[in-house]
Amino acid sequence: MATDLESPPVAPISPAPPAAKARRIARHGWLYLMLLPGLAYFLIFRYWPMYGLSIAFQDYLPFLGYSDSPWVGLKHFEELFTGSDFTRLMTNTMILALLTVVFVFPAPIIVALLLNELRRRTLKNSIQSIIYIPHFLSWTIVASVTYLLFSADFGVIAGYINDLVGGPRADYVAQEAWFRPIIVLQLLWKQTGWGTIIYLAALAGVDTQLYEAARVDGAGRWRQFWHVTLPGIRPAIVIMGILTCGHLLDSGFEQIWLMTTSLNRSVADVFDTYVYYIGITQGSYSYSTAVGLFKGVVGVLLIYGSNLLAKRFDERGLF
Amino acid sequence: MKKSLAALAALTLITAGCGDSGSETSSDTITVMAPLFGTAPDPNGELQQAVQKLIGKKLQITWVPNADYSEKTNVTLASNNMPQAMVIQGDKQSAFVQAAQAGAFWDLTGKLDKYPNLTPADPTTGKNATVNGKTYGIYRVRPLLRSAISIRKDWLEKLGLQMPKTVDDLQAIAKAFTERDPDGNGKKDTYGLIVPKWPGTYASSSPYDVIETWFGAPNGWGERGGKLVPGFDTEEFVTANKWLKNWVDNGWINPDFATLDSANWNKPFVQGRGGIILDVNVRSGDLVKLFKETDPKNFDKVALAGNLARTDGQKFSAPFPGYNGIVAIPKQKVKTEEQLDQVLQVLDKLQAKEGTVLLTNGIEGRNFKLEDGYAAPLDEDNPQIKVINNDVEKAFIQLGTRASVGLGAYPPKPADEPSRKLVVQRNELATEDLKTAVHNPALGVVSETYIKQGKTLDLIIPDARIKFLSGDITEEQLRAEIKRWYAEGGDKVAQETNDLVAKLGK
Repeated sequence: MATDLESPPVAPISPAPPAAKARRIARHGWLYLMLLPGLAYFLIFRYWPMYGLSIAFQDYLPFLGYSDSPWVGLKHFEELFTGSDFTRLMTNTMILALLTVVFVFPAPIIVALLLNELRRRTLKNSIQSIIYIPHFLSWTIVASVTYLLFSADFGVIAGYINDLVGGPRADYVAQEAWFRPIIVLQLLWKQTGWGTIIYLAALAGVDTQLYEAARVDGAGRWRQFWHVTLPGIRPAIVIMGILTCGHLLDSGFEQIWLMTTSLNRSVADVFDTYVYYIGITQGSYSYSTAVGLFKGVVGVLLIYGSNLLAKRFDERGLF
Repeated sequence: MKKSLAALAALTLITAGCGDSGSETSSDTITVMAPLFGTAPDPNGELQQAVQKLIGKKLQITWVPNADYSEKTNVTLASNNMPQAMVIQGDKQSAFVQAAQAGAFWDLTGKLDKYPNLTPADPTTGKNATVNGKTYGIYRVRPLLRSAISIRKDWLEKLGLQMPKTVDDLQAIAKAFTERDPDGNGKKDTYGLIVPKWPGTYASSSPYDVIETWFGAPNGWGERGGKLVPGFDTEEFVTANKWLKNWVDNGWINPDFATLDSANWNKPFVQGRGGIILDVNVRSGDLVKLFKETDPKNFDKVALAGNLARTDGQKFSAPFPGYNGIVAIPKQKVKTEEQLDQVLQVLDKLQAKEGTVLLTNGIEGRNFKLEDGYAAPLDEDNPQIKVINNDVEKAFIQLGTRASVGLGAYPPKPADEPSRKLVVQRNELATEDLKTAVHNPALGVVSETYIKQGKTLDLIIPDARIKFLSGDITEEQLRAEIKRWYAEGGDKVAQETNDLVAKLGK
C-alpha cells in the first residue's frame, strides 16, 4: 500500500545527468533522511537475520557455529519432500487455507456491508466497538475458553449438544472431525469484527454523489449496493485478497498449537507448528529452517501470483 | 508473508551469534540454569544467601518455568549465553546428545571420581544416566520406584471394596466407582481412573506405560527371542491397551483423557468426579493436602496401592529411571580443565550433606527443625518463612543431585496422621515393588538413527496408542502403526540399540 503514498513526480522522468540527480537528492534531503530509519529497520531486522537461513543447507550444530558446521547441500529439503510428513503437512495447511479463504475472508466484508446499511449511527458505532473486542483476547484465552465450553467432561456447550443429540459424550476438542470446524469458528469469532475496519473505511470513502446519482436514475437499494457500494470497495477487497494469499501457508501458529492433541494431530499438523516442534522443542535447527524457508518461498510465489492475477483482471494490484 | 519471514528471522536470530565467548563471568560467580515450578526466588533471598555463603561463591541462576524448559534449553544451546552449569532434562534427546557429542559439553566420564559427592552413589543409576558409555553430567537422583495408585478411600469404604492387588481388582473398583454412585448423590456422574493429556513420548512413565508393564510388556526395551525389542512391539502391549480400551468404552475413565491439562490432574479427584490416579506415589500426599484445604476435619480420603499383578498372578512393577535429568557443564564458559575443576568443586560442596539440606529442606532452625530424623516445619504462616519454603520446594530442590525431589536430605515430617501413614505405606510399597521391577536394559543407550530421526519417530506410538484407546483406530491399524515405526527408521534404531547394548555390556 506504500504505492498510495507515492509523491507526485517533481522532476522530469527522462534520464537525468548525474549532476541533476545529485541536485534532486539534495533538494529532497530531508525526505531521504527520514527514509533512513525505516530502511535501517528492514536491513537490520528483516534482511540481515536472513543470512542465518544458510543453516538450512548445513548440518548446523550450535557449538560449531555457522563456519564449522558441515555443509550438506539440499539434504534437508530432500528429507522434507520425500519424508512421510510432507504430504500430510501440505494437505492440512492447504485445507485450512482453503477454509480460511471460503469462510473467514468474506465474513468481515459481509459484516461491514451490513453495518453500512444501518441507519442509526449510535447503534452502528456500538456494534462496531463490541465486535472488535475478541480481537484483543490472546489465542491462549480463546483456546482455554474453547476447551471449557467443548470439553467432554465438563464442557457446557458439549453438554447441551449431548442433551439434544443423546448418546455418549463426544470430545469435540479432541476429535479429528471437529478440529477444522472449531478452528474456523474461532477465527470467525476472533477476527471478523476487527477485519471490518478496513472495509468500513473503504465504504466511508465511497462518494455519496454516486448514490444520489444512482437514486436519480431510479436505482433501488439493491441496485445501489450492486453498482455503487461493491465497486467502491473492490480495490480494498482485492488488496486484502492478495495479502491473504501471501498468508495462505501461515495457519496461525498459536491457535493451532494450542488446539492440537494426540488425537487430532494428523489433521492439525501444519508447517508452522511443525517448524516449532522440530526446531525448538526437538532442536533440529537445520531441518526446521529448511521447512520454514520452503514455506517462505511458497508465500512469496503466492503473493506474486495473486498480484499478477489481480492485474490481469484490470485491478491495480499491490505493486 | 511478513509474518512468515518474521518467524524465519526469529528462528535464525536465535541460532545466530555463536562463536564469540561473550562476557567472561568473574571467577567468584557461578552461573546456573535450572527449572522452576513456581515463582522465581529473589537472588537476595535468605536461602540463596545461605547457599552462597556455604559454597563461597555468588550464584547467578536463570530459573526457567518447567513447562518451557526443553525449548529454553534448545534456544540456550544455540546462544552465546550458556551458563557454567545447566540442568538438562532431555539428556537422551537428540538436541542435547548431538551437542554433547560435538563437544559443547564436558565429557565427565571418569572425571567425577575425585568428587565424593558427585560420583554416582548408585552405579546402576550412574550407568542409566550415561549416553553410550559417556557421562555428560551429574544425575539428579529420584526414587527408583515411584509408580503407585492413589484411590478415593471414602469411596472404597462406602462401596465395601478392598484395596486392589491385581489388575482385575482395579477394574472392579473402576467399574464400581462409575456405576455404583460412590458419592451417593443419586446421579451417575463419576468415573474411575483419571488420566491427563500426556506430553511425553513412549516409555515416559505415563499411566499407559505403567499398565503395559503390569501386563508384562518390557519397560522401554526388553528381550524377546534373544534380542531387544521396543516394548510396544510385544503382544503384552496390545493386550494391555485392549484392556484399557474396554475402560474407555465403558466410561470407567475420564472422557477427556486425551485433552485434560495435566495441571488440572488432581481436580476431578478432589472434586469427586473420578476416584483413581495412577502416578508417582508422592501424589497421594498432595491429594491429602488438597482435601485438607477444603475440609480440615475430614480429609483422610486417599488410599495408596502399589503396582498390580496381572490376572495370572504374575507381578511386574514399573520402575522409574532413578534419576531425572542431569547437571551438565557447557564448555562455552568453562574452557579449561582448571575451570572445570573449580565448577565441579563448587558443585561437590553444594551436594555434600550441608548443601543438600539447604537445597531440599531449607535453613535449619529457621524454616524447619530436626525431629527424630524428620524435618519438622517451623512457623509456617510467617511470610518470610513462606518465602524460604517456596524457594526450597519450587526452585532450589531442582539443583540437588544427591538429594532431591522425593529424596530430601531429611524426609519432611508429615503434617498429620493420614499423611504419615501414607509416607510409611509408600516406602513399604516401593521396597516391595522393587523386587518385581522390570528394568530397561537400554536406558544408557542412544542410537545414531534415533538422534537423527527420533523427532519423527517419537510421536508415532503414543499418538497411535491414544487413538486406539479412544476408538479412532482399530487394533489392526494400531499394529500397522507399530510396523510403520519400524519402516520409518525404527528397524535401524532397534538394530543399533541391540549393537550398543551388546557392546557396552549389560
